[in-house]
Amino acid sequence: MQPSPMPSPMPSPMVTSPCHLTLPQHSLHSPRSAGQNQAALIHLKRKARLYWSLVHPIILQLISNRFFPDALPELSATLLMRSCRWLCQILLLPVLPLWMQAWIVGGLLADELSSGPWTRNGLATERFTITGTGGRNNPLRKPLDPAFAGDEIFIRFNLRYAAKSLDSPPATSGEFFVLWLDELEGNDGSGHAANIPNVGIHVQGNQNRFMARYNSSNQKFGEVLQGDRDYLILGRLWKSTSGHDQPFDQLSLWVDPQSDEELTPDVSLQSGKSISKVNWIGFSTGAKTEIDDRIDVWEVRTADSWNTILDLPDEPTDPNYAPEMLRPPSKKTISFREHIQPLLKKHCFECHAGKDAEEGVRLDVVDEVLQQISPLQHQKSHLYQLVATGKMPPEASLPPQELQLIARWIDEGLDWDTDSLPHPVPVSDHWAFHPIERPTIPVVKHAAWVVNPIDAFIAAQHENVGLVANPMADRQTLNRRLSLGLHGIPPRTEDMGELLKIDGLLSNPAYGQRWARYWLDIARWAESNGHQHNRDRLHAWRYRDWVIDAFNQGIPFDRFLREQIAGDEISPSSPQNMIATGFLAAARYSGNELDKRIQRNDILIDITNTTASAFLGLTLECAQCHSHKFDPLSIRDYYRFQGFFISGQPQNLVLGKSESAHELAQERWILFNQVQQRLVRVRRKQGYPEPILITPENVVAQMRPDERTAFGRLESQLAKLDQTWGFYSPSSASAEPVVAPHKMRWQLPHAPEVLGKLKAAILIRGDLQARGPEVTSGWPRIFGEVDEASKTRLQLAHWLTHPEHPLTARVWVNRLWQWHFGRGLVETSSDFGTQGTSPSHPKLLDFLASELIDHAWNTRHIQRMILESATYRMSSEYSAANAKLDPDNRLLWRWKPRRLESEAIRDSVLAVSGQLDHSSGGPSALHDSYRRSIYLKQKRDNLPSQQVLFDSANGIISCARRRVSTSPLQPLWLMNSDLIQIAAKQFAERAGSVESAIQIAFHRQATEPELQQLQELADQFGLASACLAIMNSSEFLYIP
Amino acid sequence: MNPSLPIDRRTFAASAGLGASSIALRSLLAAEHGDTESAPHHTPTARSVIFLFMSGGPSQVDTFDPKPELSKLVGQDVPASLAQNVPRIKRAGLKNLLGSPWEFRKQGQSGIEISNLLPQIGQQADSLCIIRSMTHRNPVHGPGECVALTGTSIGDRPSLGSWSLYGLGSETDQLPSFIAMNLHTDGMQFPQAAGWSPGFLPSRYQGTLVDANEGILDARMPANVSSQQRAKELQVIQAMNNRMFASSRLSELEARIRNYETAFRMQTSAPELFQLNRETTRIHSLYGIQDKDTREVGRACLLARRMVQRGVRFIQIRVGGWDAHGNLKGNHEKLAARTDAPIAALLTDLKQTGLLDETLVVWGGEFGRTPTMEGRAGGRDHSPSAYTVWLAGGGVQGGQTIGTTDPIGYTVVERPVKPLDLHATILHAIGINADKLIFDHHGLQENPLGVTGGNLVREAFLPG
Repeated sequence: MQPSPMPSPMPSPMVTSPCHLTLPQHSLHSPRSAGQNQAALIHLKRKARLYWSLVHPIILQLISNRFFPDALPELSATLLMRSCRWLCQILLLPVLPLWMQAWIVGGLLADELSSGPWTRNGLATERFTITGTGGRNNPLRKPLDPAFAGDEIFIRFNLRYAAKSLDSPPATSGEFFVLWLDELEGNDGSGHAANIPNVGIHVQGNQNRFMARYNSSNQKFGEVLQGDRDYLILGRLWKSTSGHDQPFDQLSLWVDPQSDEELTPDVSLQSGKSISKVNWIGFSTGAKTEIDDRIDVWEVRTADSWNTILDLPDEPTDPNYAPEMLRPPSKKTISFREHIQPLLKKHCFECHAGKDAEEGVRLDVVDEVLQQISPLQHQKSHLYQLVATGKMPPEASLPPQELQLIARWIDEGLDWDTDSLPHPVPVSDHWAFHPIERPTIPVVKHAAWVVNPIDAFIAAQHENVGLVANPMADRQTLNRRLSLGLHGIPPRTEDMGELLKIDGLLSNPAYGQRWARYWLDIARWAESNGHQHNRDRLHAWRYRDWVIDAFNQGIPFDRFLREQIAGDEISPSSPQNMIATGFLAAARYSGNELDKRIQRNDILIDITNTTASAFLGLTLECAQCHSHKFDPLSIRDYYRFQGFFISGQPQNLVLGKSESAHELAQERWILFNQVQQRLVRVRRKQGYPEPILITPENVVAQMRPDERTAFGRLESQLAKLDQTWGFYSPSSASAEPVVAPHKMRWQLPHAPEVLGKLKAAILIRGDLQARGPEVTSGWPRIFGEVDEASKTRLQLAHWLTHPEHPLTARVWVNRLWQWHFGRGLVETSSDFGTQGTSPSHPKLLDFLASELIDHAWNTRHIQRMILESATYRMSSEYSAANAKLDPDNRLLWRWKPRRLESEAIRDSVLAVSGQLDHSSGGPSALHDSYRRSIYLKQKRDNLPSQQVLFDSANGIISCARRRVSTSPLQPLWLMNSDLIQIAAKQFAERAGSVESAIQIAFHRQATEPELQQLQELADQFGLASACLAIMNSSEFLYIP
Repeated sequence: MNPSLPIDRRTFAASAGLGASSIALRSLLAAEHGDTESAPHHTPTARSVIFLFMSGGPSQVDTFDPKPELSKLVGQDVPASLAQNVPRIKRAGLKNLLGSPWEFRKQGQSGIEISNLLPQIGQQADSLCIIRSMTHRNPVHGPGECVALTGTSIGDRPSLGSWSLYGLGSETDQLPSFIAMNLHTDGMQFPQAAGWSPGFLPSRYQGTLVDANEGILDARMPANVSSQQRAKELQVIQAMNNRMFASSRLSELEARIRNYETAFRMQTSAPELFQLNRETTRIHSLYGIQDKDTREVGRACLLARRMVQRGVRFIQIRVGGWDAHGNLKGNHEKLAARTDAPIAALLTDLKQTGLLDETLVVWGGEFGRTPTMEGRAGGRDHSPSAYTVWLAGGGVQGGQTIGTTDPIGYTVVERPVKPLDLHATILHAIGINADKLIFDHHGLQENPLGVTGGNLVREAFLPG
């Protein structure tokens, strides 16, 4: 039912003709007198105030929009123009001669007098002034058309009682004024029967109070009426038993309700004898209402819901569907087994079933059928079109009734019977899906070379093809390799004497500061939302520090994984756990995306793809639109996997458990939402198209002064709390953390009641509009039956770190190998699928994976083995004989020098020049800082230029392995940039001589030719010139 | 090769014990010219591309797609017959049609109608091939920009310029071959790095971002370093690097050595490129370099011409600010004042220097705008369902339009062209068959058109 507007006022002596809130008063008198001009002046001043109240927020909006031009103000230009005209006239008027004043004001009045019927929008309000008669009177009433006999009706009106006419009981008997809902109209003077529900004002004790009543013995009172105050009175009349003939036995009253008070009325009462139908509503005055009482009422209307009566936006009933999307009917008429399966069997399965189905089109597998249809739309479905046009089946067209069945089957959501036609169980003989088996350590001839089992596996391969492994590198080279490899900076000169100790290296904070970067590449971590608004994520740095600490503390990999994908489910009150979810929260999204479903879908895709590639080493993203072309991964697998993340959301989360923080945040959100809803209501009345979106900046700009003060206080208090950019799912987190606001154009949904309703579904061809069957969370079927109870991310984490998982350990040890050697045993370290490269040393890979699992996922155990191995310690010497057999060194007959990553290049330059700021942790530094590169601000699309120049990750998608490219812009940076030029001078100052510079940079004694050449440079152009040359050398920039 | 160079690469290679048959060297050279040997796949019609990317989304119905019907429907809803074709996306308002504040006039011999918002470009109508039927589905700037310049919205794939470079290699070793300039980046539409990123291609194919006023980052030697000093430094660097290469035989290290030679040359050639005082005052005034409004775009357009002359393959000029949500008239007039004269000047100048025949000029944004008014402030919202892009020069048949939109310019009714179709067309002009340009990305055979593919707009080109 729509709210019914009041009809034009009935001719009643007690109701004065409507005055208009924003429109000028009618005046039919003419000609104009000076007195009228005086009145017009007063009228103009009143208008000025009114316009100011309208224009002021718009100006504020303009100011705020100056900084956010994308949100150009949706203001009415004409309104602004008119306001300016009024303001000018008002300002000028007093200083003009009287005749000119008369002329201007006259002109204005003439303008308004010549008008016809009002054109009115929602901002002009009809207002009635009611006075009493000292007896029973019904001054204002109207029929409801149609009459209402439904289950629930809301009625509202605004009320203002003139204070000077207000009597205080009992001395002067008090006041009476009610709105009734009746079956009958009655007449001007009649009373209403008992049990006719009414709400209004009556006397209780010594006070005039708001009241709801069925009759004088069944009434309840609310707050005390105050004069000269605008009230919103809201009543709800409803039936506890549904039905047209049932009585409206429940009545509630709210005075000035808040949007969230639907369940907490001020007053509620019951009466089984009430009417069952409302035909009329109207106001009554009574004996207590004197002739000089002045009661204003306006906005009198009814509605069938709380949201409509208060102009609140409709609640999203099901956030899984956009309003325009079709939804499957709740009542199904088609049974797959009964109606469809026989039909398919008869006409289709002969060709389109089984593995060798014609054209690869299978109709015996629901996920394949899905690819042939458009969900809930048979007309748009390829399958239906083929059948309807008679193209299929080829021999004879389907009879109309069967065609009809297919149409309904599609429109009802494609019912299926997985008992008789199950999802096919994928099979694969791909090595990576086989269980990890601990291999026996090979016995090799060249046993003297072997230091630990790693070397045995490597040597065995050498011996197979006839390679001869290089001997151990010299101490200086090894120290440089260890220091650059583990710390990303050259060793200190005081460490020249002896071989660096591995434990010492791993316990140095510099280790985490270098190695965390490898994982941040995988985590596509950055500190801004990305896309064009690209707002900063001010608290994202905590995740960077968490990763650094995780490496420095050597936490086991299973815990490392678990906290990152399920920290909020383990313990939201543990700051470390919440920070770890920064892995999931690092997803990029467009802050300017108006369609929240698209925005959320982008986030989900990002998280799903990144998680699968980071931990499973699978390119699950290929199954987003269709089943994977190469790997045994189906589109169902994809959306089941996505199901783990479906109700979570990246947010600023307050760290730790604090009652006050909770209240603070709650107060902030309530205030913000209240103002936002108010603004939405105004715009709705102004006729803005739905959905009405107001930027947070505008919400704040249009707050009332007291609200803004309160809001500012709340914001600054919240800002002082420790927060992190984390991921949190209200439906599975073990406790509710405090969500703090994140500055962005359109807020991400964070309400638990919305997020909790989200369900994963197969999106056919990846299209969000083509929502197919819903699925429950789970991992890809190729890994075995999915336990139906496996719904949470914590369960996903447990499954991933199960000792029998074929991929997790392999993927992780392979990454460690890659980060030490520059190339993994499996070169495609994030693709262990069939399209990835096969391992160069499959047994070594399984050996390391078994070691990891058997040593409680201890990452350092693997690293120590690698670092101590002869394989790691070989020299880089070139051997023509070996190169002939294995030109790419895939079988590791030598150490292959590799260029430092961009961060290590910069850090090394700063280190040798003595400028590196070693301080650790905290918010990111500006790009001109001298802190280690990992602490430089990682704003998407605005990464440090040197970092990008030397092939850094882009912070957009997971980067498994950086490329090494050579571009002429690199030498330009290494020769001409300010950073290098300054470093060269500082380096020279620190070194004092060419010999010393070489020792600092290369960790060895100078050789004759280089000493001579560099000395020439130094002599001719200064030592800084020689230092510049040293920093440009390949030896300086490569891990030897 | 510059004779003043301290080291000659061939001499140098010989001294390192490398013959011309060295496997490493050969593979490197091959790599430098793209891993596919076969490009160009056909005779190119263009040598260089200048992509004038109008970021923010210029309105098609106010520039190159006249819609007289629109002015008759002002204030009305989109007629139901047309509304049913408008994709149901959040931005696509269907109420309150807004007429164009500009008049369309027939231009040139071809008589193509172009609005008087862009009078000077209008005069070049006979050189323009106007595609009025561009279409895609992403109505948001960032992802839309990625769609327009990389083909998909994620921003992880190589940019069009990177593919061009990968396919054809460099024509010059004095300058980067793919140069991007971002102008007027005020406001919220930050440039998307994806637009000049190499995606999964090696980063040597990435566009070099250049400040039109500052030049190439770090290309200029510090003031206190003489060229004699730099030459000597380079000699020492090369000697050290040569020793390391000789002992390790890593091909990568040989590439570094050659890089230093190129970098050394760039120190001279890159600053020279930016010395616009070498151009006549007539040229300066043609491009509007003295005028406040046109200075920035004029400078970039003139630089683009100079880059084309010096063999730069792909030049991308991004002009931000077309995002006319409110006050369409004010916004587009401002942007027209910035771009109309310099872009027309570029076309004129390329024509008079004979370069237009071998230079493909592309103009267009990430999407167009709705024919309806957004909110109440006289602006238009984003609309990717139909928008206009034009091509000029480089073998393109000027004076023609391709594709049509509905009577209010909201959707495409004939000859839809997707961004990837446009990419296929641009690549075709420079001699690349996009389907044949393959890059092995971790075992996945990638090409510029990705999984969805694209088709060349053949009718854009001159016959024969």
